Amino acid sequence: MEEKKGYQPKDIAGKLAKYFLHNPLTPILGIFLLIIGYVSLEVMPREEDPQISVAGGTIIVPMPGASPREIENIIVNPLERKIREIKGVEHIYGIAMDNVGVVNVMYYIGEDRERANLNLYDKVMQNMDLLPKGTMNPLVKPFDVDIDIPIMAITFYKKEGSVLKDTELFRIVREIQQELSQIENVSKTQIKGGRKEQYNIQVDLGKLSGYHLSLGQIVQAIKALAVDVPDVKGRTKDGQLVIFGVKNAIESIRDVENLIVAQYMGSPIYLKNVARVTAGSDIQNFKSVEISEHKKEGFTPLKPAMTLTLGKLAGTNAVTIADAIKAKMESYRPMLAKEGVGYAITRDYGKRANDAVNELVDHILITIVIISIMLVFFLGWKESLIVTFTVPAILAITLFIAYLTGQTINRITLFAFLLSLGLLVDAAIIVIENIHRHLHSHDAVDKSMDEIMVEATDEIGAPTNIATLAIILTMVPMAFVGGMMGQFMKPIPANVPVALVASLIVAYIFTPYLGLKLLKKPHFHHHKHHKKSEAKEGGVQ
Amino acid sequence: MKKFEQFIYNLLGSGVKQWTVIGLTILALIGSIMMLPTKIVLAKMLPGKSANTFSIYVNAPTGSSIEETKKIGECVVSFLQKEKEVTDAEVYLGQGAPLDYAGLVKGSTFKNSENVAEIVVNLTDKHEREEPSFMIVHRLRPIIKANCEALKKDTVIQMVEQPAGPPTLAAVVAEIYGKNYEQTYQLSQKVATVLKNTKGLVDIDIMADDPYEKYELIPNPDKISRSGLSVEQVNKILYLAFEGMVVAHKNSRNYPDQIGLFVRLSDTTRRLKDHSKEALKSKLAALKLMNKKGMLVPMSEVVTIREVKASPTIMQKELRRMISVTAETDLVSQVYPLLDARSAIMKNFSKKYKIETTDYLFNLRFTDRKTGEVFDLKWDGEMKVTLDTFRDLGAAFIAALVLIFLLLVIYYKNFTISAIILAGSFLSIIGVIVGHWVADMVTTYTFFLTATSLIGFIALMGISSRNSLLLIDFAKALMLEKGFEKRHAIAVATATRAKPIMLTAIAIILGSALLASDPIFGGLGVALISGTVAAVIVSLIFIPVLMYRAKAMNPQVLEELENV
Repeated sequence: MEEKKGYQPKDIAGKLAKYFLHNPLTPILGIFLLIIGYVSLEVMPREEDPQISVAGGTIIVPMPGASPREIENIIVNPLERKIREIKGVEHIYGIAMDNVGVVNVMYYIGEDRERANLNLYDKVMQNMDLLPKGTMNPLVKPFDVDIDIPIMAITFYKKEGSVLKDTELFRIVREIQQELSQIENVSKTQIKGGRKEQYNIQVDLGKLSGYHLSLGQIVQAIKALAVDVPDVKGRTKDGQLVIFGVKNAIESIRDVENLIVAQYMGSPIYLKNVARVTAGSDIQNFKSVEISEHKKEGFTPLKPAMTLTLGKLAGTNAVTIADAIKAKMESYRPMLAKEGVGYAITRDYGKRANDAVNELVDHILITIVIISIMLVFFLGWKESLIVTFTVPAILAITLFIAYLTGQTINRITLFAFLLSLGLLVDAAIIVIENIHRHLHSHDAVDKSMDEIMVEATDEIGAPTNIATLAIILTMVPMAFVGGMMGQFMKPIPANVPVALVASLIVAYIFTPYLGLKLLKKPHFHHHKHHKKSEAKEGGVQ
Repeated sequence: MKKFEQFIYNLLGSGVKQWTVIGLTILALIGSIMMLPTKIVLAKMLPGKSANTFSIYVNAPTGSSIEETKKIGECVVSFLQKEKEVTDAEVYLGQGAPLDYAGLVKGSTFKNSENVAEIVVNLTDKHEREEPSFMIVHRLRPIIKANCEALKKDTVIQMVEQPAGPPTLAAVVAEIYGKNYEQTYQLSQKVATVLKNTKGLVDIDIMADDPYEKYELIPNPDKISRSGLSVEQVNKILYLAFEGMVVAHKNSRNYPDQIGLFVRLSDTTRRLKDHSKEALKSKLAALKLMNKKGMLVPMSEVVTIREVKASPTIMQKELRRMISVTAETDLVSQVYPLLDARSAIMKNFSKKYKIETTDYLFNLRFTDRKTGEVFDLKWDGEMKVTLDTFRDLGAAFIAALVLIFLLLVIYYKNFTISAIILAGSFLSIIGVIVGHWVADMVTTYTFFLTATSLIGFIALMGISSRNSLLLIDFAKALMLEKGFEKRHAIAVATATRAKPIMLTAIAIILGSALLASDPIFGGLGVALISGTVAAVIVSLIFIPVLMYRAKAMNPQVLEELENV
């Protein structure tokens, strides 16, 4: 293994070390690596949990008036049998309720979502003719986790003393929804607890019989009034168009109130005689939202509210979208205050993602510092500095490759980095320790610095390569873990091996290079100054 | 270093000492593995995660009105308002809260009835509060359930925490399959009772409609046609009168949605006097229909009222009728309560049913001793995901072992040396398990052996094989190139490699120290720290002994291998 003159490296480790030892591009390469790593960290989309691709969907078939047993027999069972014909379906859940049959289809995790959805839709559409009579058109709704889970929720409520009507609040929230939807990468938005404007005609049963009327008549009369007809195109004799349209007879609540429903003893009966007509909100809607907030003086009592939820497109940055939404909401504050509307952000995944990511980045930094301090004690500050430099370089390569392969920064990717942190300093430590040992050994005096660097690196090259390969091999089978958990853990087998390979390359290229620049041969004229070399000497003799 | 070298040298000189080392190692291995079945170290897929939010699901019995549900919701919020760490709470009545990972699998989207509500509770930032969210939930659960579930019988209130990993329907799900709905429902109630009596399980819910009374109006076609009416008309007017309908729309220029014209009986005339057949009948008598001749016919004349049980919603899974019973765990692993519940079921039900075990995962099959009817009980939920994950990770682990072994055989061209390295890396499991035991003792909460611990263990295999590899390579080099005799070479190699082995071990320990405090990756941190300690001891003491005893490590044999 040891040759006196012109050490010829046997392993890739020594070859890399030799090639880059005096290459002027080496420092530039180092700086370049750090820059692309930093840029990747900044531009990569951040989110809290990794994206799990779940393929599946819901088929809803309404059949008014049917009982659950009937629905089960004529809708759910035949539909389920048809779904069975699709390849890749893991679970089929059927729900037979009054008036409606629902079939939920879950594909195996990892099935191609687009194709799975298409197959499902196809299957339903192909068998439309088998649907029993009396069913309404089936609805096929694929579920899309990224779009369906909102990243932000903003709850609006009326401040104390505000005279705003519920429907007015809804109108304001709708306008805000429209404007927030304009923000880049915002996808699905929804309002919960919204109160739609509605004219309520509450018929008094007693008065109805008093005037000798039936409910049917009233409905007929209202329907007759509320007719919209498109504009009519008339023509003059010489071929010019004359456009005229019938104005909707209902302009305001007055028109509804004064609708004549019938004649009774010769005098007209107006709708307002038999019913209370009000312009209000949808009273038949039993869904509502209420909020109670913790203020300085204690909790506010529960008060009616509306929640606007916003989703994001897949693979986009939750943090920037959330920031944009918050900035825009801030600009509405004066307008909302004037109207007497308050709001609270009741979900902010952007902040959560950023916190989770920042926390883990902090952990990584702290860990690097701790390790470098430890190395100062064992190897010396220059050696420690060299190892410490390699860590960001390795992480930079890993981050950049993760960015290229379209991953996002999330809890699990950073966890993969933390996991590899303990492993990836190893290569550098082993190299620097061997360089250190060679520098302090007796034959160091006869060798050039270059030779020592290359030889020390080359010596541990083969076992380190094999050992690192062994660690990579332990990670690979993890990629085949199935189910949701497998999807969840995917960043580990995807990133740890990359980090390990990067750690080898960085250790072989930069450790000897920096070692040459920073380290010096100890003065061997006064012997026995170092415990370590002493021990080694003792052993060899 | 000299001392250590001497120690190894002496160790290798005495057969008794060597056997003591081997014996102790095997003893430690058996001892630590025994900690799993004896429940000294508990396993769970993923531990609780401290979050800044949690949800409370209110499920009033089927047929409850929104007013009743609202009262329960207000009750829950009144307790939340006493908490200083709660920043705000939103009640979503009659619907699911904005979807989150938990709600995604718990069917939040499909909630659309008067008897449900979801409450979102936001907490102060987890760094600024001492109590983790799962402890808050643990503390509030009994108080809220005791006070608010009492408002209406059969109400189930569930405290839903943010899942640490992928979401599941519930911690424990017992799916009961059977052809006959009533029988299956009864069986599911019995299973629910068993789960309720199992320590550690909370929030037990049967995912089926509770049976409730309803009135069926049977139209009399004969009378209807003789009165000059139609069945359709009867249905429509009934719906219109009590539920109401949007009969027409008006488009509006200055309002973002269409304005509907909604017709219904007024509140005062619509409401029944009480919940009775008579009240319904008198109301129907007042509601009149107009026939073709313009005469008014009371509704009560053309329909007869009958009291019936409402037909429940039917659930199916994989084309079989199924009712599932769900339960959550309170700070404990779901594995052990499930096993307890299973043995309780087998004990209590054996009188009525013949019980067999079926395929996978502790599943059971019941055969009614009288009727011969067959029911299946299958476990699902987090339990199944846990077992599937542990199984897959176990398979991954074995695959890793095989791959490493093959790699080593290729490198060394020898089975014995490869086996030594592999044995060394497997032994880090001693550290992993003991580490969890220690962690469990020093922390206030139960410290579980989790999926992340397993990942840590798998990674450790690689790390400890690196230690042994460097050791063997070095000893080999000393023997072949410097002509050291075997015992001396191994002692020198061990002493020389001790420093880098220690350094990398310390790096891993320090690197994982912060992980250990994380609720989710704690298992991994502890596995890496304690596993590394074990790996260092193993590679510095046990491996040299094995190396010395192995014939394959003789210089002559190594020489031959080199020339293959």
